[in-house]
Parts: sequence; structure tokens; C-alpha cells
Amino acid sequence: MTDAVARIHAALADAGVTGWLHALDIDSGEQLDAGADQPVCTASVHKLCLLVTLHEQAARGALDLAEQVEAVPEGRTAGPTGVAAMLDAARMSLRDLAYLMMAVSDNAAADLLLRRVGLDAVNATTARLGLTRTRAVHTFGEMLATVREDAGPDGARALADPRVVSRLRALDPARSNRSTPRDMTRLLGAVWRDEACTPEHGAAMRRIMGLQVWPHRLASGFPFDDVHVAGKTGSLPTLRNEVGVVEYPDGGRYAVAVFTRTAHTAATLPAADAVIGTAARIAVDALRARAFRSSR
Amino acid sequence: MRHLECFVAVAEESHFGRAAARLGMAQPPLSQRVQRLERELGVRLFERTSRQVRITEAGTLLLAEAREVLSRTESFLAAARRVRDGETGLLRAALPPDLSGETVAALLADFGERHAGLELELHELSTAQQLDRLAAHDLDVGVVHHPCDVTGLELGPVLRRELGVLLPAGAAAAALAEVPLPALSGRDLILFPRAAAPALYDELLTTCARGGFTPAAVRHGQGASFVQGLVLSSGAVALCPRDAAPPGQGSGEGDVVWRPLTGGAPALRHSAAWPKGRGDAAVQAFAEAATHALRTAAGAVPDAPARPLHLRPASEYWL
Repeated sequence: MTDAVARIHAALADAGVTGWLHALDIDSGEQLDAGADQPVCTASVHKLCLLVTLHEQAARGALDLAEQVEAVPEGRTAGPTGVAAMLDAARMSLRDLAYLMMAVSDNAAADLLLRRVGLDAVNATTARLGLTRTRAVHTFGEMLATVREDAGPDGARALADPRVVSRLRALDPARSNRSTPRDMTRLLGAVWRDEACTPEHGAAMRRIMGLQVWPHRLASGFPFDDVHVAGKTGSLPTLRNEVGVVEYPDGGRYAVAVFTRTAHTAATLPAADAVIGTAARIAVDALRARAFRSSR
Repeated sequence: MRHLECFVAVAEESHFGRAAARLGMAQPPLSQRVQRLERELGVRLFERTSRQVRITEAGTLLLAEAREVLSRTESFLAAARRVRDGETGLLRAALPPDLSGETVAALLADFGERHAGLELELHELSTAQQLDRLAAHDLDVGVVHHPCDVTGLELGPVLRRELGVLLPAGAAAAALAEVPLPALSGRDLILFPRAAAPALYDELLTTCARGGFTPAAVRHGQGASFVQGLVLSSGAVALCPRDAAPPGQGSGEGDVVWRPLTGGAPALRHSAAWPKGRGDAAVQAFAEAATHALRTAAGAVPDAPARPLHLRPASEYWL
């Protein structure tokens, strides 16, 4: 296991990133800790907490997932995907907004859902599930506003400047939405064991998480057609995260949370994306080898 | 066709007399044919002086194409001959190097019974070589390893041979009746050179890694004796189907032993392959003989995908 941790750190270093990982065998409780208790900025990974909150409220009857929402262009949270990138008014259900929020990390969809359930409800849900170090302090639109404000008049171009990056509040876990790798695997474990919600809502959340489109991070470490990967990414300047669950055909289920920071300020760094999958794979292989040894 | 042959011969000989001799014809009709070809194409192919003939730039551009057309013509005529004669002619076939002698013998005996009159030109070729030759129509039928690019090919049934491991008799894992993949950890793996079947090579390594065996190093070797020598001398292990394992398994084993692998072991998958639309009676007979021999002599079984398939959204299709 220590060998696996060393290999994870070596892989991260080779890719030019610093990272923190926690992996959990959902059924046996076996763990791998490579910085599991590091406070980290969740960025869009926090949309997972919002997804769970939404379904929890639906399970309590506080809202109907088929409820229609008007998504008007005025005041829409910006973003490169989904409703956030669209030009005209749209109308869709809460659960379809949740799908867009998880599948393509749609910021506008996420903030429409947040407007419906409230930030406090998200924090109440994570607290109820025992995620003591997880907290949402702002909406996704507010988080992006701090980046815009801290970047100053030069806008996105300023994000190549290390001094600007160093003063981004969005990258400070004390001042942004935060969690730890261990809290995130705990949340995933609860979703996959149907402890977060009713089995019916658990299945709905797992379906949506399996529809995330990005192949470049966690999923890239598991190039197997018979292995199911469900996850949620999170990204900000120099920050690349993904948390998710990997399911093997023999029934093995592993929750993995990987949070990284790159030294380089470039936005396009394929190796930094891929190493999230590489590190997760090393962790899952180690957990599987341990299960194999203990079964003999 | 004859015109093209004349063009290529003159281009290669740079001399009308020598080209005529090579084609077994007199020089005047040869130079008439070349002139007629030049008229027909509207392209000057050669510069002629009193003593010398030199190919023009335009001629050089067309030469490769002409050779290509001729080689296609030859294989077309060979196929036509076989179709016409049914039982006679020449079949150019290939087998991969990992079949046992018994399997090859069974295949040849079976094929001989099906097509006694046919001349069989059999080659031992890797999957990559077979694909090249099938595409060039230099090969009528082969037996390829999957995964490989099957564009333009027709395939016989896909058969599967489970792989076991060859290891030194003294290795700790050799004491086990079945070897779990993680028990091979830290050993070198002997594998065929990647160029022979790149997709299979990658798949074998990926499958081993997934099962818990990441070799310390990969060494390349293919011939059975060479591989056994490496296993003996270096303590490396090799993947090998049961039918191709060295003799003397069971009682009184040699220095190299074969054991079945467990824990998501890799397998070889084969099928007969021939160019689309060229599966004549002889090709079918070879494909059937190969399939039969693999099943009876090599213990291959039909490949049934037993594993679930989880398409990811990035695949951009859904069933």
C-alpha cells in the first residue's frame, strides 16, 4: 500500500502536479490515503453535493424533480457548456437541469438549482452525512465573480500571471467551497450504498453521474469497456479535480477522490488531466490486490 | 494489360531489345505497342534517341501505378482461374507463428481432403504482415489475431484460446496448480515483438496489468525454443496457450512448466480472414479447415463476449 502511495506521488510529480487522493472500497471499507485530509477547493465537484441535496429534498417531498424551471438569458451564470453557453430562454425540469449540471458541469443549471434549494440546504445535507470538513460558501456564479474580480481588468489573460493566480480567493479553501478527499469518498459511498437517499433517488443520482461526458480525467485511467465510471470534475485556474466511483464486473466498487494543482498556469494540460486517471487506477489496483490477498 | 507490361519492361530495362527479350517478343511489335499506349494516354512515356531510351518525368509518375495495376491483374487472374477450375490452381495462405505443429498438421490434412487438387502456398506470418498482404491481394486467406483492423476483410468465426504461463520449474508459482496473475508480479514478461500484432500486444499488457501483473520489463521473443531458453536462464515468464506448451506436461515435467492462469487471464482470439468479396471455394475450404483445426487440435472455443459493456457518453453512440 505504501508502494502504491509512492507510485501515486511519482505519477503526479511526473505530470507536473501536486495532488491529494483518497480511495475507498465501498463494500469492504478498505482505504488508500495519499493526502486524504487535505483541505481542498472543490470547484465544480461541489455540484455533487447539490445533486444529493436536490434528491434528498425530492425524497422528503419538498420538491418535485419534474417541476419546470424557466431559464431566461438575463442574469444567467456564465460558462462554456450547457444552458450557461446558450443564447435564448429555455424551460426544463429540475432533474434535467441536474443532468446538465453533472454531465457537462453546466454552471447556469447549477445556479438555477441552487436558487431552488438554497446554499444552506446543501450544507445541511453534507453535515447530515457526516462531511464535517465540507462547506459551500458561495454559488457557482459568485465563485466565478471572485475569479473575475481577482483577475482584474486584464481578464482571463491575467490568469497566466503566477502573482494573479496566487491571489485568487477561489483557490483558497478557507475562502471558497471546500472539502477533503476523504469527505468526498464518504459522500460517494453514501450515494452508492443508498444511505444518502432512497434507493430510487440513489439510482437516479448514479445514472446522472454515469452520464458525465468528460473522458480525460478519472475515466482515462480505466480503459475497459466492462468497467463503469461515474464522476464529477471540478476545474479552476491551475486546479483539476475529479471524484467518482469505478465499478468492476466482479462487483468491486471503489470511490476515488483526486484533487490536484498544477505548477503551470496553462489551461490546457492534457497530462495533468490524465494523471487523475492514472493515480486513481494505481489506488484501485492496490485496493483490488489487497482484496485478492485477503480472499486467499 | 499487355501494353502496360510492355511499358513496365521497357522502363525497367531502359532498352527496347532487352525488354523485348524479357517479354519473349520481337522488338518492332514492342515499340509499336509502346507508341500505341502513348497515343492512347496522350502522354509521352519515353525519350528515344538513336542508341538509348530514357523514361520521361511523366512516365516515372505513371510507372508505380502501372505496376500496381499489373499486380492486381495477376491476383485477379489467379482468382478467376481458381473460380473457373474449382479444384485446381494456387491458394496463397498464411498462419500465425503461435500454432502448434499438431494444429498445422491437422489443418493441412483437412484442407488436403477438401481440396486435393489445389496447390497450397503456405506462409508463417504475423498478423501485421498478413493484413498488409491481404490488402495488397498478395495473400488469399490467413488466420489473424484480434484485435486488428478488419477493414476490407471478411472473417470466419472468432475463436478463443485461453493463455497460460510458462515459468521455470523452480519458481514458487510453479508449485501452484493454477497461477493467479498477481503471483507473477516483479517478473519480466516475454512477448512477441509489438510490430507483429500491435493491438494484441497492447491488449495483453493491459489485461495483465488489470489482473495485477505489471511486468518489471518486457522482453521480445517468438520462437518456442528461444522463449523457453529465456524463461530458463532469466526467470522471465511467457504467455502461452495450452496446446503450444512444451511437451512433457503433467508427469515428469521439464525445466519449463506450463500452468493455467487465473484472475482475468488474457486470451488469444483468432479468425480466418480474406479480402471482402474474394471468398471463393478454395478460400472457404481453407478457412473451414483452419477453424476446425483450431477447435479440435488447439482447443479453441467460440469467443462469446461474457462481460458487460458500459458505453461512456464520450463514445457518442448508444444502443
